[in-house]
Amino acid sequence: MAEDLDVLDKTRIAPVDSLRRADEDLRLPVVARPSTLPLEPPLVPQVGEQTHAVGLRAQRPDSRDHGLGLTRYIDDIALPGMLYARIKRAGVASARIKSIDISAAEAMPGVMAVLLGREIPTNLFGTSIVDQPLLADPIVRQAGDGVAAVAAVTEQIAQAACDAIKVEYEPLPGVYDAIEALKPESHKVHGGDTNVYAKKVIRQGDVERGFAESYRIYEDEYYTPGIEHAPMEPFTSIADWDSNGRLTVYASIGRITLARVDLSKTLHVPISRIRVIGTIVGGNFGGKNEIRHEPVLALLAKKAGRPVKGRFTRVEEFVASTIRHAFFMKYKTGVSKDGKILARQIRMILDGGAYCSFSETTLGKACILSTGPYHVPNSFIEGYVVYTNKTTAGSMRGFGAPQVCFAYESQMDDIARDLKIDPLELRMKNFFRDGSMTATGQVLHSVKVIESMQNAVKKFGWETQS
Amino acid sequence: MNVTLTVNGEIRSASVPPETTLLVFLREHLLLTGAKTGCDIGDCGACTVIVDGKAVNACLMLAAQADGRAVTTIEGLATREGLHPLQKVFEETGALQCGFCGPGVILTSKALLDENPDPTTEEIRTALAGNLCRCTGYVKMIDGIHEAAKMMQSATPALPAPEQR
Repeated sequence: MAEDLDVLDKTRIAPVDSLRRADEDLRLPVVARPSTLPLEPPLVPQVGEQTHAVGLRAQRPDSRDHGLGLTRYIDDIALPGMLYARIKRAGVASARIKSIDISAAEAMPGVMAVLLGREIPTNLFGTSIVDQPLLADPIVRQAGDGVAAVAAVTEQIAQAACDAIKVEYEPLPGVYDAIEALKPESHKVHGGDTNVYAKKVIRQGDVERGFAESYRIYEDEYYTPGIEHAPMEPFTSIADWDSNGRLTVYASIGRITLARVDLSKTLHVPISRIRVIGTIVGGNFGGKNEIRHEPVLALLAKKAGRPVKGRFTRVEEFVASTIRHAFFMKYKTGVSKDGKILARQIRMILDGGAYCSFSETTLGKACILSTGPYHVPNSFIEGYVVYTNKTTAGSMRGFGAPQVCFAYESQMDDIARDLKIDPLELRMKNFFRDGSMTATGQVLHSVKVIESMQNAVKKFGWETQS
Repeated sequence: MNVTLTVNGEIRSASVPPETTLLVFLREHLLLTGAKTGCDIGDCGACTVIVDGKAVNACLMLAAQADGRAVTTIEGLATREGLHPLQKVFEETGALQCGFCGPGVILTSKALLDENPDPTTEEIRTALAGNLCRCTGYVKMIDGIHEAAKMMQSATPALPAPEQR
């Protein structure tokens, strides 16, 4: 028995020792494991109870890799034989393409494939209204529209080939202001007889009666500009086909199934043959929710027979991605003498840019939230999104909520100043309470806005400041 | 052309086209992908590395300009004994969210702390002026750098001993 044990010990020692050596050969630092949340008491709160996770310190499980520079973002991935793609941007906001000459680009050594819009099976995509071409053909509606794409062995050659592509444009009139775009004589970005492509109206109670009963009526206009998400990591994707006609796309994208649907529709490839691998995202903020250039890369990869990587330049990030909608908002609010909101009428125009993208979602959310966290018995909200020849507006953190918040909170301050009521008190008077009804008729429960505000006031020292 | 430089204490050499930037040299020729391509025009600081003790934008420096010099990248910061105090503090304070700016910010901070072991908040802000972050903001980073400075100054060993098994 004892002899057996001796033998077993020996065989066990050897591998442990070699493992330890192997560990030392690795350059990974030996560090304490990241702290974890305690499981007692359970973190899932009971009804009406605050979760125990509040106030505890938690560590991101991925931050060790981030700090060590080991996180593999999409641009850190390279496939064997990979080519680099560049998209030639129109540079003009409204035009018709008369001709494209790609012969010089195709003749360049190192250029493996050139793609035009007319070669794409379905050259249109979109999340609600399908109106955006992958490569403009033949109408250019924003300066960031792609007109041709090149895949080459290096990024420099791809760029040089793009520069060698000659495009002849016939200039078209354009419209560059959302209010201007509403006028009947304005240029129609997508033809038809109006630039308005989505509308939402929410009505509750009777605003006219509310205004008639009001002690004061405030009418103000607010504007918020478009904003680029500017994530640190530019849009980057890699497209790779296998010999069975299956497509794999590596992309830093937030909505993988939506990307597969759009790839399937544009490429006419069954969705079961498309795999999208979402890599670690270097900043999204809503801008990486839909496809950008992935079908173009896929077609370039198919033409060239090699994997293709495409990375937006910082300029393309600004002109060829989506931005936050610019909002023009008109707020008319009637209040009683003691500061209670009686009626609110809101009209907002959203600058949608050249294509729809997530405009309908943004418009909907902005309208629903436009009366603020306040009980407004009578409201009338109307919102419109219009096409302009500017960078497409899409989803960005809050989907329209921050824009309307700027408007209603600015007006609350103005009302408080005019009625000589403390701005905090005015808000407290009007806040939602348990059982309050929102503009859309939703009855609210577990409303904690008053307590939250009281806590916040204590924390940032409102009383001492005012 | 042939470029030879010391990267993280090791002599590395590669033959590259003359227009190769230090960033492309590190990422594509040495496969050190910790330095990131954010803008490629010197605005965002995601590509920051330390060359001869100074934090530089690797996208604005040619590989040939770094010939014969000593380069530290994020991969060279941690040792097998443990993380660099900055890495440890950034992890603990949640100063990194998407993490894309992280390597650049950490290296800029290291260059600052090497030169000035006890910087004021104002000095930290000035040093970080060339590093953009879009997720976290800068407050946690600045707090973290103060904390790391304290850790690095204290005589007691700041890092926990490796776990014994």
